[in-house]
Amino acid sequence: MDTSQYLNVFMDECQEHLQILNQSLLDLEKEPDNAELLHSIFRSAHTLKGASATMGFNKMSNVTHAMEDVLSLLRKQELQITPEITNLLFDSLDLLEALAKGITEGREEDIEVAGVLQRLKKYSRQKEEAQVETAQANERRKTLQLRYTQEEKENVTKLIEEGNSLYHLDIHLKQDCLLKGARAFMILRELEAVGVIAQTVPSAKELEDEQFELEFIIGLCSKQPLGKIEKLIKRVTDVKEVKSQQVKPEDILLERRDKPEYEEVTTQESPVPDRKEQKSVSASTSTSTSTQKQKGAVTPNIYPTVRVDIRKLDSLMNLIAELVINRSQIEQLSSEIQDQRLEETVEHLNRLTIDLRDQVLKTRMVSIDQVFSRFPRLVRDLSKNTGKEVELRLSGVDTELDRTVIDEIGDPLVHIIRNCVDHGIEEPKEREAAGKSKTGVVTMDAYQTGNSVMITVTDDGKGIDPEKVAISALEKGFVTKEELEDMSDQDKINLIFLPGFSTAEKVSDVSGRGVGMDAVRAKISDLGGVIGLSSEPGQGSKFTIQLPLTLAIIQTLLIQLGEEVFAIPTSFVDQTISVHKKEIKILRHQEVTLMRGEVLPLMRLQDYLGVKNAKNTDLDELDVVVFKSGEKRLGCIVDSLLRQQDVVIKSLGSFLGEIPGIAGATILGDGKVALILDLRNVA
Amino acid sequence: MKKEEIREETSQLVVFKLGEEEFGVNILQVREIEKLDQGLTRVPKAPRFVEGVINLRGEIIPIVDLRKRFGLTLPALGLDSRVIIVEIGDEAVGMLVDAVVEVLRVPVSAIESTPSITKGVNTYYLAGVAKVEERLIVLLNLERALSQEEAAELSKAELG
Repeated sequence: MDTSQYLNVFMDECQEHLQILNQSLLDLEKEPDNAELLHSIFRSAHTLKGASATMGFNKMSNVTHAMEDVLSLLRKQELQITPEITNLLFDSLDLLEALAKGITEGREEDIEVAGVLQRLKKYSRQKEEAQVETAQANERRKTLQLRYTQEEKENVTKLIEEGNSLYHLDIHLKQDCLLKGARAFMILRELEAVGVIAQTVPSAKELEDEQFELEFIIGLCSKQPLGKIEKLIKRVTDVKEVKSQQVKPEDILLERRDKPEYEEVTTQESPVPDRKEQKSVSASTSTSTSTQKQKGAVTPNIYPTVRVDIRKLDSLMNLIAELVINRSQIEQLSSEIQDQRLEETVEHLNRLTIDLRDQVLKTRMVSIDQVFSRFPRLVRDLSKNTGKEVELRLSGVDTELDRTVIDEIGDPLVHIIRNCVDHGIEEPKEREAAGKSKTGVVTMDAYQTGNSVMITVTDDGKGIDPEKVAISALEKGFVTKEELEDMSDQDKINLIFLPGFSTAEKVSDVSGRGVGMDAVRAKISDLGGVIGLSSEPGQGSKFTIQLPLTLAIIQTLLIQLGEEVFAIPTSFVDQTISVHKKEIKILRHQEVTLMRGEVLPLMRLQDYLGVKNAKNTDLDELDVVVFKSGEKRLGCIVDSLLRQQDVVIKSLGSFLGEIPGIAGATILGDGKVALILDLRNVA
Repeated sequence: MKKEEIREETSQLVVFKLGEEEFGVNILQVREIEKLDQGLTRVPKAPRFVEGVINLRGEIIPIVDLRKRFGLTLPALGLDSRVIIVEIGDEAVGMLVDAVVEVLRVPVSAIESTPSITKGVNTYYLAGVAKVEERLIVLLNLERALSQEEAAELSKAELG
């Protein structure tokens, strides 16, 4: 079976359930007695099992299957939740996440699952031996019953009068059956050939969707003898046994009004956790507000949603960009024609296009909850590893960001949180000595201001000592003594963003070694954002990240050079200045000028980009665009600054690949392509 | 006899000209053929044979000058010049050619896999030669002809 086309759907579903598992496990750790949580975990594991088996990802289905076994013992309270079991479940979850990643990268096979499987099976086997098989069977018998509506009963009675017999076929599939849905479907098809299927439990749809355990019952009206039908069913692979009986019309059970639900798990959509303004997850104390609120709460308004491939939205975005270009062409024409009615229509078209663009942009927005929801687990693990007590408070989880930003912002945030826990929060004893509560608090907040989204990460730890940073920077040769003398405390703190700088006294497992805060800053500036850090010794520190709402549309400065037009994202530009050619000096073969008392190296942009016929060599008054990378600045001399314009950023594609200095391309109002420059790293 | 001809497997080629020589690409790889009436945007620091990029209904398409690619010295592009948009993997690339001649159905048996004649084009870029009556149509291996990596290696080899 070619399942590749379903892979995306599967991966989406997979991520969703992994997230539910993650959250529920965290909550379960705090409330081991909460049955609802256990149900939710079980449901997710169950769904994952079914989905991965259908897709042929056997490792994942084996792991989820084993998890399910253990969970089912927990649900029946035949097994008590111990920290050991919670850890095992967390480990299983990690393994599932690794497998999911492996599947996308096509290397699922390489991932070792035997260890966790064995640990899981140890629990289920312990109990299995003690279990009385029949007790279980009885329980099932009790819960699965074929019932008919009045109308169905009449139909069946009629069929019986026509010489058919009604059989109830109780079919059990083998435990290791992978394609349950397909098997059930095959059985139904076989039976349809010899009679009329009157009723099934669970419903035929549920059977096809694999929403059943190993057992299902079919009510069949047929003229064939029972023995022959049994044989038909047994021919289907994976059928363990069939218990069948002939039912007389008077024995037909009518449906109960209160709808006897199949006691077994129904893999319905798990309720969306209600969005709380303030989610509080603490890793060491047992108090939690999140799950209590959730328990028994009526699911809030959920509107039907559609899952859409992001590429479809991208192409929609492209079309709208086209429309915007077309619109400006019409606008141009209309201003030439000067017809009142035409102008009014164009004005209307204008507004529609802008609304349309905004709406499409909105569809690409995803709530930051997707990223934040990973962090409670991270903080839990960090606090366990470091022996510190840390509580994570999240707020503003509903804040929305463009999908592309969401995908990229996770890693930098992880790094910042690690830093907060590792370097910021003190050991419990140290905290008590300083008169603080034993448990440190890391707070993450997100909110929108204008066209940007702010994310702050605050800790109430020991803060950053500017002098300590300064001394470390001096020792490592990042700064000279003279430079330090001119620096404010804030400047000194900012030194930690220098490449290769790390204030950790010992290299810890937690903060990692390879990447430092410089990588975080680089990533955020790639996203067109800015990161800032403030700190109060003894009180804690605060990271502030400002991100653009979307990456698809950026504000640029259009510049002219020769006959060519280039776009420069305004977020990359430090400032633009005007320099008279007399103010340009030559220093070590390089043109430089003074900007606010500092030497600013200059570059004629045409030299870098190979533009012919640039005019700035003949000009007296020169327009200079200043780029800033870290502490370094570079002034690029252009011919003229045209205007600011919002543009839709497009990739140059993999054929051209990465070209240094060029971040992409965009289509201007006249339909021409303009390249988007990123000269920060040229500086 | 006639029946046999019909039954024979054929391949459809888009035939185009570089100078006077005829080249062909499989029609399945061709997305469309365009006139280059809009301006090209030059891409600094791109490979030498990339003329620039164009906007094709909202999509940015790189344009490759096959004549530069194969190191052919030919007169400037005339009025008949076209851009053949081909698809390699997920990527669309435009090939600048002197003229598009026709779409031709040729029997697979008429295609020789190892080209013996090359007329200045490195055989590495070729997939074969189709002999149709008196004509010789050189078939391109698009993956190679439009790949950057190979080009870099080749030019290195040529230099060394």
